[in-house]
Amino acid sequence: MPAVEAQLARFRAAHTQVLGVSVDSVHCHANWAKDLGGISFPLLADFNPKGAVARAYGAYLEQAGITDRATVIIDSGGVVRHASSVTPAGQRDISQLAALCEEIDRASASPKEPFAEPPGVADGAVLYVKSRCGFSRATLLAMDNLHLAGRVQVTNITEDAAAKEALVRVAGKETAPCLVLGGKPMHESKDIIRTLVEATSPL
Amino acid sequence: MIAIEDKAPDFALQDHLGRTVSLGQLLGRRNVMLLFYPLDWTPT
Repeated sequence: MPAVEAQLARFRAAHTQVLGVSVDSVHCHANWAKDLGGISFPLLADFNPKGAVARAYGAYLEQAGITDRATVIIDSGGVVRHASSVTPAGQRDISQLAALCEEIDRASASPKEPFAEPPGVADGAVLYVKSRCGFSRATLLAMDNLHLAGRVQVTNITEDAAAKEALVRVAGKETAPCLVLGGKPMHESKDIIRTLVEATSPL
Repeated sequence: MIAIEDKAPDFALQDHLGRTVSLGQLLGRRNVMLLFYPLDWTPT
């Protein structure tokens, strides 16, 4: 997956959205992705019912009860143009797959739109978090997966009394997580993550 | 495994960034590459 993240620009230039799919939960995905150094393209939870999408694509190994390490490339008209497996123990060659996506993109006459340059997070954004808080942790995982460390200032109000005072001044209460953008506070972790995703990695 | 020239089955799944991602929302403007894999914490 890090090899894909490193070559995302190449896939985007070929009008190709990359999607990772396994039976793991979104929480497992988010933690793993952070450990990989941040993954900004979607990792999908094929979770309930387990492996249903893999089955629909014939990529579920019924006997072993696991998803195969399979690759399917679909053109923008919805037609499968490539399907292969390297077996669960194998490893994909991402450069080769990028070249294949470029070839399929050139050959396909279906309509495509270029990936627009994302707007980015406005300067001066501050994310207030607190310790031992699952919602704060979720926002921090998203920050890492979107490579926003250093671009959005993060302060922990549990550890920093001055930060807590600053939060109360701007938001009127000491509830965290809180993202302050353009002087306006946002409290729901789902809204915070959606805002960061839309600014940096829209679909 | 699905065959070349088949119509890709639609799906809608949650991602690790809080989104619902469907094939239908992407088709018509994007090609899509699906990377199936057995489990998190395994290689690419």
